[in-house]
Amino acid sequence: MESVAHHLGSPFRVLGAAFLDLAHTVGGMGVLAGAIARRIVRLDWDGSELWRNLEKMGVRSLPIVVVTALFTGGIMVIQAAPIVQKYGAQALLGWGAGFSVLREIGPLLTALMLSGRIGANNTAELGTMMVTEQVDGLRALAIDPVSYLVTPRFLGIVVTLFLSTIFSDAVSLIGAAYGGWAILGVEPQVFFNGLTGGLLGLGDVMHGLIKAVVFGVMIGITSCQFGMSTTGGAPGVGRSVNAAVVVSAAGIFVVDYFVSFAIA
Amino acid sequence: MTAAPRTEEPTAPAPERPGLAQLVGAGALAGARAALGVYSVLVKTLYYLLRGVRQPGAVARQMYAIGNESLVFLCVVMGFLGMIVVYQTGLQLQRVVPDLGMLGANFVDLLVRELVPSICALMLATRVGAGIAAEIGSMVVTEQVDALRMCAADPVDYLIKPRFVASVVMTLVLSTIAGTVAYVAGMLTAGTFFQITPNTFINLSLVGVGDAVSFLTKCVAYGAAIPVVSGYCGLVTYGGSEGVGWATTSAVVSSSLSVVVLDFFISGACYLIFG
Repeated sequence: MESVAHHLGSPFRVLGAAFLDLAHTVGGMGVLAGAIARRIVRLDWDGSELWRNLEKMGVRSLPIVVVTALFTGGIMVIQAAPIVQKYGAQALLGWGAGFSVLREIGPLLTALMLSGRIGANNTAELGTMMVTEQVDGLRALAIDPVSYLVTPRFLGIVVTLFLSTIFSDAVSLIGAAYGGWAILGVEPQVFFNGLTGGLLGLGDVMHGLIKAVVFGVMIGITSCQFGMSTTGGAPGVGRSVNAAVVVSAAGIFVVDYFVSFAIA
Repeated sequence: MTAAPRTEEPTAPAPERPGLAQLVGAGALAGARAALGVYSVLVKTLYYLLRGVRQPGAVARQMYAIGNESLVFLCVVMGFLGMIVVYQTGLQLQRVVPDLGMLGANFVDLLVRELVPSICALMLATRVGAGIAAEIGSMVVTEQVDALRMCAADPVDYLIKPRFVASVVMTLVLSTIAGTVAYVAGMLTAGTFFQITPNTFINLSLVGVGDAVSFLTKCVAYGAAIPVVSGYCGLVTYGGSEGVGWATTSAVVSSSLSVVVLDFFISGACYLIFG
């Protein structure tokens, strides 16, 4: 009898545990976001730590951003090739590549790659500091870990995402232009005419950049929250990095939908 | 006169920052070393597939860890992706063509050929790649892998082979399921925002043999690349919990990058073969 009740209760227990876990994570992220926002309003963050993080996150990620963007531009042209050839729409190639890169693919792929590189790295670093009690050490010295560690990293991620997206938009459009030239024989001049022909405007660029900032906030909060709640030694660091990348990747797509919808 | 006595040149102070050539060379060497390492893991994995030790249940356990536990994540991601793609494309197409009747046909073509395998693989590279590197990396820093070697068991045979088999199978299965979710989500979006009925939307006329071959090749290639690359990143971990963090990060980055690069080459090959 008891075992039957146990099995009946089991799905509810699983569901309840998952729900509590989710509520704990989301609540922790909300509290951390509030703490970061307070520090930002009061300009209370460590300047040299911010510069160090900008160098480490922004400058060092440039090769990955450039390689990903170049290949993405090439892939887009290959995928568009059958349609372009069937309808003879050479003049529209620039427009098609432009709107998909500027509005969606540029910000999305940059955010996914950087979530892997700097989000995971950030969680690993904060997590290591947590499990080796360095954060407790800071607290014991009356240094606020949120303004010393978390806020500079958060700002670093948001700024990096914004700047890298501009960079990656440009590089993937160049990749698409020269890819189109190599594969379809569309002159780069025709491509750029399609790009600047009036169907695309500053609005499309801004659309992508707003998304980049929102993704940056998402990655920043997630990776800092998972890093700061790490427990349990080296395996614990691995677990929280894993959880952080999963949550920020899923979060990027969910947020992308709502942002696309809100600022259509 | 004999040669003037050699004056002691003031030795230049050791450069603090390495020169450009040094940076490029070091990068190239590290890249070549990593490529060789990944290649050797791949070759060993294929060898042990044929004549390794049989471990009953290991593949099934990894299939559960890679497949079942990623299912919800992938379905959420691909569902939102389907909605975003249909919404954005529809919005843009309305500016140039009045009739959106072919939206569904082009959408399913793009899904099968490109979006489903590649985005699923990017997500799996994040989730599964990070998981594999974290797990194997923790085993390396706690010297469990050394213990395996002491028992004359190759860690590639014991740890990477089951993950490899599970990942290849599960990438195919998960891509198929999550792709269906994306298609249905796109169909609902098209019905809600652009009044396209499911009858018009469901149109498989553009999906050909080339698309199916491209889908299958991509799934198998990505499914093989992710465990090999991130397994290698896990095996070369050193230095405690910080090292595990580094290994996880580099696994996510390298396996995502390998997915993007493979995508480029497979798409190019399929375009050249099937047109």
